[in-house]
Amino acid sequence: MSDAVTPAAPQRCVLRVRSNEPERGCIRLVLEAPDSWPAAAPGQFVMIHLSGTGVARHDPLLPRPMAAFRLTGEGSTEPDGTRCLEVLYKVVGRGTALLAECQPGDSLALVGPLGVPFPMPQPGEEAVLVGGGTGIASLFELARTLRDAGAPLRVLLGARSQDDLMALADFEALGVPLELATDDGSAGHHGLVTAPLEPWLGAGSPLRIYACGPTPMMVAVAELAEKAGHPCHLSLENRMACGFGICLGCAVRSRGDALHLVCRDGPVFDAKELDLGALP
Amino acid sequence: MSTTPDLSVEFAGIPLRNPVLTASGTFGYGVELEPFLDLRRLGGFVAKSLTLEPRHGNPPPRIAETPAGMLNAISLENVGVEAFIEEKLPAVPDGVPVIASVFGTEIELYAEVCKRLTGVPKVAGLEINASCPHVKAGGIEFGQSPDALGRLVRACRQATTLPLVVKLSPNVTSIAEMARVCEGEGASGIAAINTVQALEVDVETRRPMLSNGLGGLSGPAIRPVALRMVWQCAQAVSIPICGVGGISTGEDAVAFLLCGATAIQVGTASYLNPAAAGEVADGIAAYCERHGVASVRELIGALEHS
Repeated sequence: MSDAVTPAAPQRCVLRVRSNEPERGCIRLVLEAPDSWPAAAPGQFVMIHLSGTGVARHDPLLPRPMAAFRLTGEGSTEPDGTRCLEVLYKVVGRGTALLAECQPGDSLALVGPLGVPFPMPQPGEEAVLVGGGTGIASLFELARTLRDAGAPLRVLLGARSQDDLMALADFEALGVPLELATDDGSAGHHGLVTAPLEPWLGAGSPLRIYACGPTPMMVAVAELAEKAGHPCHLSLENRMACGFGICLGCAVRSRGDALHLVCRDGPVFDAKELDLGALP
Repeated sequence: MSTTPDLSVEFAGIPLRNPVLTASGTFGYGVELEPFLDLRRLGGFVAKSLTLEPRHGNPPPRIAETPAGMLNAISLENVGVEAFIEEKLPAVPDGVPVIASVFGTEIELYAEVCKRLTGVPKVAGLEINASCPHVKAGGIEFGQSPDALGRLVRACRQATTLPLVVKLSPNVTSIAEMARVCEGEGASGIAAINTVQALEVDVETRRPMLSNGLGGLSGPAIRPVALRMVWQCAQAVSIPICGVGGISTGEDAVAFLLCGATAIQVGTASYLNPAAAGEVADGIAAYCERHGVASVRELIGALEHS
């Protein structure tokens, strides 16, 4: 489990919407993926654009980066075995509001899979996955991959309340050790994910931490991990126009004052590379 | 009875298999787009602007979406001319003309980069990015002062034997005057337009959307402005013009040809669809077939108006 998965070459493809339904904490967009559509490695993302049907759509102009939640169909999730890419999102602005209006049968243009995936744990390390809010979506494929490989892992998910815990049923179905934390105490620990995380970090066994969520959460997790001497990988979000390294819009600052592109050099970064105080 | 239309043009002395180039800063160094697009489908591409030394650019946020457009203030981050020649150019497939975009904060720095790129294999021409603040002249863009622009073009012309295209700033009162200055100083062609200076505000935070404050507007929002300016340049000079600004379809490109452009550049459209430039070339061919146009050259300047 020590090597990162080599990502497939990205493609641009128009995918048909199978469903786009609200559920706990998010909307689940299910897109029918042709056999040629490459499976995303854990941590990779796709760019989704609202013009798939050949009619040029100029407003909103840009695609939106979203985590590739999972690819189904090789298994048996869909009754007819159709290969589907699932994406979980929340309505946060005009782009996602219009995406939420998409109906089954509509088409969306996708570019992906993109970005550097999560590196796998070294032998002897236990993986600790910490997800917050919409960042939970970025961690599912990693959890599934680790479980399928028989690698030790623990998952810690946090959200504002029980109703905001997206993908909870998916994680529960994996059957991996799972802890919850909510700001209002409606599920799991009452408070931040860092409270249940902290005692794990000091227990003495080698861990590798993976985090995706709101910036304050990721910064807190990274600082705890660094203090305890555990490697920590953060999956960042940022505004980006292209997703494949040409617009240079998604730069973040490194500790050495250099700039990294979230799309090309990330979205997964070793927390030690980043200037945590300057994250978007 | 339709035959395949002839899409070939000659722009600024550079033979192109079709009029479609890509705009500097929207196509990286070419190789980034290769998973999505065979570069040989294009007339050529304009690489990201190069300075003598590598540059890091502005802190984030650097981009913002606007109605039918986007703002950017990257500040010309690039690998520098040496790394471009050593590391980026070798990856470009043979037979794809590369136009290197050149940029500097002083005239001498532009000229140095022009000199360095002259004679480098695959570099078919140079495009001078005149939308840079002229440090010695108090920060006004070279392209906003006829005098500074004239001196810049003269120095670059003396520094290279390559075809020399000048990309004009739209942030001027009379773009025709700027085009005439370039022609008078020996430029081989004009590219018009660069981004339109603009501002977007986040009213919740009462701050500009970009860390830099001002940015450059691109995308379909600026296409009619670019068309107008290309048309005005075409009336003013006899050197060829490359139309740039909001092109995302074959029809968009044809509009620029009709207004007098010999070639066009696809810019922001490549961000949302990395195959866009190839689709624009296909769209031009389809337009020609639909209208019985045997050669795309028939369209250049063929706007009918009274």
